[in-house]
Amino acid sequence: MSFDASAKRGGHAPDRQDRTFWGRLAGWGPYHTLMRLATASPRRQFLILAAFPILWVLTQHLGPMLQMLRVSLTDAYPVAPGVEQSFTLDNYARFFGDSIFWMPFFRTLTFAGVFTLCTLLITYPVAYFLARHVSRRNQMLFLLLLLIPFWVGEIVRTYAIMILLGNTGAVNLVLKTLGLIDRPIPFMYTSFSMGVGIVYLTALYMLLPLYSALEKLPQSMNEAAADLGAGAWTRFRRISLPLTIEGISSGCTLVFLISTGFYATPVLLGGPSTTVFAETIAGFFHVAGDEWPTGAAFATIMFAAALVITAAFQKLMGALRKGDRK
Amino acid sequence: MSDQTPLVRIEGLSKHFGDTVALDNLTLDIAKGEFVTFLGPSGCGKSTTLRILGGFERPTTGRVILDGEDVTRQPPEKRHVNMVFQDYALFPHMTVAQNVAFGLELKGMSRSEIRRRSEEIMSFLELESYASRYPLQLSGGQRQRVALARALAPDPALLLLDEPLGALDAKLRGQVQQELKSIQRRTRKTFFFVTHDQEEALTMSDRIVVMNKGKVEQDGTPEELYFRPASRFVAEFIGETNLLSGQMRGTEGDKVVMDWENTTLLGTAPAGIPGKGQPITASVRLEKLGFSAERPQTANAVQGRVVGKTFLGSRMAVQVAVGDGDVLLKAYVDVQTGQSVDDDLIWIGWEPDNMAVLND
Amino acid sequence: MNDRPELFRGNRIFLACIYWSFVLYVFVPLILMVLMGFKDSKFIGFPIRSWTLEWYVGVFADAEILSTFGYSVAIAILSTLISIFVGTWLAVLLEGRKFWGRTIIFGLAVLPALVPGIISAIAFRIYARWLGIEPGMGAIVWAHAVHNVPFVVLVVMARLSTLPRSQIEAARDLGADPLISFIRITLPYLVPAILGASIFCLLLSFDDFVRSFFLGGYEPTLPVLIFAMLRSGMSPEINAIATVALILTAVVGIWAERFTRRMNKDS
Repeated sequence: MSFDASAKRGGHAPDRQDRTFWGRLAGWGPYHTLMRLATASPRRQFLILAAFPILWVLTQHLGPMLQMLRVSLTDAYPVAPGVEQSFTLDNYARFFGDSIFWMPFFRTLTFAGVFTLCTLLITYPVAYFLARHVSRRNQMLFLLLLLIPFWVGEIVRTYAIMILLGNTGAVNLVLKTLGLIDRPIPFMYTSFSMGVGIVYLTALYMLLPLYSALEKLPQSMNEAAADLGAGAWTRFRRISLPLTIEGISSGCTLVFLISTGFYATPVLLGGPSTTVFAETIAGFFHVAGDEWPTGAAFATIMFAAALVITAAFQKLMGALRKGDRK
Repeated sequence: MSDQTPLVRIEGLSKHFGDTVALDNLTLDIAKGEFVTFLGPSGCGKSTTLRILGGFERPTTGRVILDGEDVTRQPPEKRHVNMVFQDYALFPHMTVAQNVAFGLELKGMSRSEIRRRSEEIMSFLELESYASRYPLQLSGGQRQRVALARALAPDPALLLLDEPLGALDAKLRGQVQQELKSIQRRTRKTFFFVTHDQEEALTMSDRIVVMNKGKVEQDGTPEELYFRPASRFVAEFIGETNLLSGQMRGTEGDKVVMDWENTTLLGTAPAGIPGKGQPITASVRLEKLGFSAERPQTANAVQGRVVGKTFLGSRMAVQVAVGDGDVLLKAYVDVQTGQSVDDDLIWIGWEPDNMAVLND
Repeated sequence: MNDRPELFRGNRIFLACIYWSFVLYVFVPLILMVLMGFKDSKFIGFPIRSWTLEWYVGVFADAEILSTFGYSVAIAILSTLISIFVGTWLAVLLEGRKFWGRTIIFGLAVLPALVPGIISAIAFRIYARWLGIEPGMGAIVWAHAVHNVPFVVLVVMARLSTLPRSQIEAARDLGADPLISFIRITLPYLVPAILGASIFCLLLSFDDFVRSFFLGGYEPTLPVLIFAMLRSGMSPEINAIATVALILTAVVGIWAERFTRRMNKDS
């Protein structure tokens, strides 16, 4: 057994072909030179690692948003040949000028807020049950059961709701069979059907943050509170709720942002009285030509509003959490 | 390479992390074939030294010279240095044999050479029967041996070991200590071992460097450190000891004379002779104190009263109150010899060579 | 469940009812939709009196529908490949590394996932025009790829954060340069995360409507086709197409769920 380094080095050169791939690569001149140049200093190594991803997020993630903003400030896009493009705020002014534009805008925000609240109220007990009343071993199974439908796409699920709520749908059939109604209730094309659909689509994004927040709560805390004489409602209000505010906050933010962005679901489930802003925006892109800047401006307004609302909401939640610690 | 030039030369090495100084101007030589242990509490700079030697950190100032070559700015893959990691860092998706062969492949060895060399090293560490197992299927001790085999396989000039026994249970640890020492002797490799466990350091090392707050406290053989600690830190960090606070009176030949509890004691001063009249502290190990009913023949002797006894199995720890009764000396009594310490008044004696005056 | 105290029993029964009602809520619409695909009538609605397989036969005989399936799958695969490549690279840059502007880069990396659907579609549409990308497969692949990058980043970063630093250091110590140690140590460690993220991206892309709708050319993806058919009225044929799509996604989803769980357990 030889452990004498000097005896070994400079021994017979190994047969190149018999080396492993990685041995050949590491010893291959051009690769070696390239790696030496790339790793010459930690700084250079970092730049090589960072250049592509930073360039990507700037041009592909930020780029589209900035370009949208830029187009929203121009009077014509795409620019026709021979026409001078100029800066304007008209597209934004147009929004406030006509109730046909700002009505759907406020309707969208209201709907998104209400649907978010509904989703929270529906999924909180579900998440609570999963995290606190199901044994560890079964939790994943119970959760997976809920995950399956959510792998199915937006359009297919929207269609499923259409079948459920239609005049000849399942709900009306059941009600009729039970003798509760004579003629079908027109659920479809109302804000109700839209709500059912949107809650159906977003529930998972609320459920998962809530579940992971609740799962972290030790059972002993509830028992301790019960031991001290706290009833079910007090336990929930004083223990579970404050400690899961983070989950509530991120779930609501996510669901709110997603809800404001739905296009197909309101088109299919909603009616003329429930037109949402996404449909207004989309309208500007169905016709070719100079409506694009207006559409871009409206999309920018929408995004800014959604961001401001979620930021304010997060701040409120943060204050609530801090207030509770005191 | 002649044996006079050191294998590793560390020159003025410092490492700052922001405002904290992890390593403060360390200068040190390591000879070929030495088993050097860096010992100290966490945050003392021992691991930083190891990581600089391995190439995972760059020092703020100073140089590392390996085999006559300045490697301070070389990345880890270029150095003839290999490391056994604290958590072993075995690659979970590779078998034992693939783990061991990893470094050999990248050295550009041919397949047949790799096979020969890994088989050789695996049989040396008695791992042949585990060659096709995955790290997760091994016990802690076996993983530790695989980590050692993997680090030894590329035949490094210097082997770094980062608390490699920390994850083992106490019983196994003693056994592995012996194994490691014998492997080091048989391979004649230079081992740079880092630990906070003083017992481990004493058992295995040729040489121990005690570190504290980024600086070297003492550098010597285990015997030197144990019986002639240079500082209070070393005396207290390694083993259990009696610290005697007295006053420097003068010298007598190469011995130091000190006043302590109305007695005159003789001792050594490995860390330098202090000035006359200064308050000084001396250290004497528990096992160097002897008991007798009559005044013993040793140069140092005091009388005291037994105030407490603790049974420790093969021996017994005895506390003796000396002087006015406020000073306690601790000593061991062999239970087998049946030495009686039941008498109230007892004599304690020790030789000057066993008492070291510390550098506070 | 037995270790739960008696004390909470009443709550449990109440909450269990809510849970199972929720399960009904998410399953019943889909089950009804599947059933409707077997109805022997052109009219959607209950009750179903006679059954047929004619609609499914129709779907599998229709070359146009089949090619739409193929088109959607191709888009999903291509966009996933791009998302995985970029997302993994971003995750490697962002995880466990401190540098100036890291928070900004991270924020930008997850931005596409936070932009509401319609706005994201509009922004991509405008940007594609600016880049000179014609509406069609290329534009959809690009938009899906960008939109899905954040999910890859998050999943891969989570996995990467559990890789002990000593693994990479050990590889470097044994002579591997940064690239080789990434390929031989980091990448195998990331495989479960990358596979999980891939499946997620495939499904997101396959199910996506709004981006495909605004960036598509004349050839529709599957959700766009169903949408277009729905606008001209419901028919059991749509149910058959939707059911095939549903089975495809559910099977892939469940398989991926089990697979990634097993992979995570192994390592």
